[in-house]
Amino acid sequence: MEARPQRLNLEELHLLRWLLGGCLMLVSVATVFYMDIGSEVFAAAASLAILAALVRPALPARVPIWVHRLAFPAILAFFAGDLWRSGQLLPAIVRLDLLLLLYRGVSYRARRDDLQVVVLGLFLVVVAGVLTVSLLFAGQILVFTAGALGLLMVVTIADSSEGGAAPKLAVRGVLPGWAAHAGWRRLARRLWEISDWRLLASAAALFVGVVAVSGLLFLAIPRFQLENSLFLERFVTKRAMTGFNDSIKFGDITEITQDDSVAFDVDLSDPAQAPAQPYWRMIVLDDYRDGGFKLSPALRLAFDRERTSANVFPGLGGVRGAPTWTFYLESGVSKYLPILGRFGALRFREAQNYRYSPDLAVIALRDEPAAMTAYRVDGMAPEAGELHDLAFAGRWKTRGPAGLPLQVGLPGLSDADKEKLVRLDADGGLTASLGAQEFSRKAIELLKSTHHYSLSPHIPAGPGDPLVRWMASRESGHCELFAGSFVLMARTAGFPARVVTGFKGGTWNAYSGNYTIRNSDAHAWAEIFDATKSAWIREDPLAVAVSADAAAEKGDAALAGLMDRSWAARLNSLRVFWYRRIVNFDQQTQADTLKAVKEATGGSGKWLRDAVLALAQSAKAWFRGPWDTTRIAELAASAAAVGALAWSVATGRWRLASMGRGRRFDPVRREAGRWLRRLDGPGDLVADLQRLRFGAAPTWPRPGEVFRRARRAASSSPRRRRAVSRSTP
Amino acid sequence: MSPAPRSGRRLFWRRALWGLLWPRRYERIQPTISGVVLIGLALGIGTAAYNSASNILFIALALLLACLILSGVLAWLNLRRLEWQLEVEPPLRAGQQAQVGLALRNGKKFLPTYALWFEFAAVMFERKDPPKPESTITGKGIDVWAALAKAEASETKGTVHLGTRLDPGATERLEWSFTPARRGLVRIELRGVGSLFPFGFLRKLTGTDLRREVPVWPSPVEYRRLAGAPPRRPEGELRRARAGNEGEMIALRNYAQGDSHRLIHWKASARKRQLLIRQFSSQNSDACALWLRTDASVWTRPEQFELMLSFAATLAQDLFRSGRLLSTAIDGAPQASVRRLADVDAFLDRLAEVVPLVEKPGSPSPVRDRPRFNLLTFEPDGARGVAAYVNGSKTAAA
Repeated sequence: MEARPQRLNLEELHLLRWLLGGCLMLVSVATVFYMDIGSEVFAAAASLAILAALVRPALPARVPIWVHRLAFPAILAFFAGDLWRSGQLLPAIVRLDLLLLLYRGVSYRARRDDLQVVVLGLFLVVVAGVLTVSLLFAGQILVFTAGALGLLMVVTIADSSEGGAAPKLAVRGVLPGWAAHAGWRRLARRLWEISDWRLLASAAALFVGVVAVSGLLFLAIPRFQLENSLFLERFVTKRAMTGFNDSIKFGDITEITQDDSVAFDVDLSDPAQAPAQPYWRMIVLDDYRDGGFKLSPALRLAFDRERTSANVFPGLGGVRGAPTWTFYLESGVSKYLPILGRFGALRFREAQNYRYSPDLAVIALRDEPAAMTAYRVDGMAPEAGELHDLAFAGRWKTRGPAGLPLQVGLPGLSDADKEKLVRLDADGGLTASLGAQEFSRKAIELLKSTHHYSLSPHIPAGPGDPLVRWMASRESGHCELFAGSFVLMARTAGFPARVVTGFKGGTWNAYSGNYTIRNSDAHAWAEIFDATKSAWIREDPLAVAVSADAAAEKGDAALAGLMDRSWAARLNSLRVFWYRRIVNFDQQTQADTLKAVKEATGGSGKWLRDAVLALAQSAKAWFRGPWDTTRIAELAASAAAVGALAWSVATGRWRLASMGRGRRFDPVRREAGRWLRRLDGPGDLVADLQRLRFGAAPTWPRPGEVFRRARRAASSSPRRRRAVSRSTP
Repeated sequence: MSPAPRSGRRLFWRRALWGLLWPRRYERIQPTISGVVLIGLALGIGTAAYNSASNILFIALALLLACLILSGVLAWLNLRRLEWQLEVEPPLRAGQQAQVGLALRNGKKFLPTYALWFEFAAVMFERKDPPKPESTITGKGIDVWAALAKAEASETKGTVHLGTRLDPGATERLEWSFTPARRGLVRIELRGVGSLFPFGFLRKLTGTDLRREVPVWPSPVEYRRLAGAPPRRPEGELRRARAGNEGEMIALRNYAQGDSHRLIHWKASARKRQLLIRQFSSQNSDACALWLRTDASVWTRPEQFELMLSFAATLAQDLFRSGRLLSTAIDGAPQASVRRLADVDAFLDRLAEVVPLVEKPGSPSPVRDRPRFNLLTFEPDGARGVAAYVNGSKTAAA
């Protein structure tokens, strides 16, 4: 008797459908947690409710009918109120989506409702991807796609099992049979019983095929540059970290350094020019008052008017032969873009609103970017320890210190604090007669001798300015205090000086070959104006003293000390790959990729042609060689082998060979024969074993199932088994 | 493994290309609601992707398009190597439920087939000259809607779903029931095989050319026997050996449904590997010869005409079962002797298509070719009834 293969019944199909729908909703709700739009509470509540209903499918039957009736009006009313209260469209829509998913999660679903779940979930996943441009999106969209396809397939099969008469709407408040008898262990056991490795392998292969085809489509879809900015970002407002605003208090930068997440990555077209200790400048702060530095209104005027473009061409400042730098700035860092100094050209992926100051070498976007921002910089020197500022030099020459109060003066300090600063300078021998370089050396030496570096500084209590109090003490301090102290000392001595904040250093990812700069690399340093060079010289009181040769190292020597081969670097390399090849994929990259494919195809064709020609040449030379018995035998053997292969392919005999030379050596028949010799069990089992041993393959029952029954029969009757084996010769 | 002939390959490509331009009859691909939503989503995401040049949206678009392609591939695989065969078990009788069987076989090696449905149709038709082609522009007096409505009315449609999956190598039998409304010829068609598999995006219907033309016999009718003149044996007439259930064996024939199992000749059947039954000569000579006349001048009422046909059919079967049916004839056709069940079936098949006969003036009367004795004929009995006469006496009425 042929055993019918096992399959899921209708109740089990409905349970599997419930499981897939619930998992799909959980995957899509999870995206809200890293969207950073203030909907985490909603996401948590939705996740819990969906999970509870998923684990206990009988729970939704307890939801009262009036809840179902009022659900949609209540959700719509909530959306209207939320939109009016928050004023932001996208977060309100995301919360609406969450509520709809929550409702679907705690209600029994018909086919149409399952489709709604797929659409609502896809919306969340895609929005999260667009907003965050995170590598996590890649994994989530794949998991979501697999889950959605599985759910739709189960829904189709279940509806077909009901003869196409599945109800269009789920009945509210009624506990369906499949939910009343739901058992996850039983379902897992049944899935294990019916699983067929060939079907699973086919499904996996098909899914890999889908991913591959989607990759090819992604490469092939033509790109057109429409010069429109990313539309979703307009609907979300984000705030950058405090330390990289145009006004900082002491401790803001240090607070950022507590965070070890990646701030930005930098690709370098020529790693040979990579500097050992790059300083990524972001903001220049010149106005000191009320215990903090800020960007003065006068210095704001150094910025050009706001422009909207995808390209920034300053006109002057580019360095010939400089490599191309590609920055991938994560969201939430700052609207000020980190750069090394002046550059020749800067390109965004799409048009941006920006303001650039060529004098300060600072570029600022209008708003903090809500997603990762990529930009490419050309003509930027790897090392910009000096920033030439001819305009300031001219003003310095004509007006002198009295005419430039902000860069030289200390308007925020009291007379008593100024006297302290004068005494400090005098004690350290820091006078205006020293050159800027000598002054900087002595000032830094003084600071290092009296203070230690610490992320937890202590500013003594007392009257007056806190920075001056700290300078007068011997307490430890962080980079802001050191930089601020240097600026105050320089200004007291009559040198123009200012604070610059940004990042310093970073690591070199050995796997993806790029700089990785983390928030823990945030730093503050100073710049002092050297009138002899007409340039602002970077002075970092906390820089480790190195020789001039070491400071000038570039390329491998410079990167040796920065090399990162940790697991974090491995993971980060995936993210950089994601940014390089996917997020930053544009028309130019597409053209380059197609060109590379064409060259590779052409190259491989040429290689093949050359290989064939070489083979033909060698065969020709062999045939021309002196003939002897060995050679004739070789030729005959080769011809016989080729002939046999051709004959076997032509007649299909190779198939039999690969199947083990026909029926006699079929492993299933062999196994069945073994069991028949051992067993004397129930008639059905012996009949099935005989069919496997002697019957035609299409009439076989499932071999796995039969052998399992045979094993059970053998284990349940050990005495009989021993008797049989003794009687067998 | 022999290579396919070149002409076969050319034909395949020609068909495939032509199929893209001009789909086969009943071949349809319609998007479902989820399919429309998917297409709308793809368009929306594509528009947003081009508007914003966001590669994330391009990824989502590429995945959606890849899913559509996957859906097509799986739908094609699902229907691949699927064989079906229409099985109609005669007889079909007007007013009685008929079963149409569909034998399915999944010829694939390891992929099952899911979620199929089969669209059947039973169309009553008349075997006559094909009508002259007309168009709605040139046709005169043609009421297109009436013609369409008439065509719809003569059709019975049904859909049967394959509720379970069809495993690789497995066979399944589905049944569709319908009730022919009237006698005649019915064309049973398997119009299409449809599936929503795999994801329900597209409703794919593949047309088939599978059809069977089957006659629908007149419906059986209740009748009452009346005491009439007994059947007469003509003087001097030899007993004729005629197939029946008594007497000496005169022949072997193939088993037909309805034959008694006691008549099976087991030895011959084992030799020939098919069932054979014995035919005996019958000593019973009170059998009748049935002659049906369908004069339109006699049978003026259609319902009475149909009743007559039903009566004739029922009576012929009853007489055959009792071994008392000698021969049958309709109108001017010669008497066809009835020896076995197939002869009765052939008579009933003719009954399915018979129409009232309009006699042409001057045509010879067929009466003189008929048996003089025990001739069973039918006449109207009143306004609605039909009576059967043997030797001039009324023997039964319906």
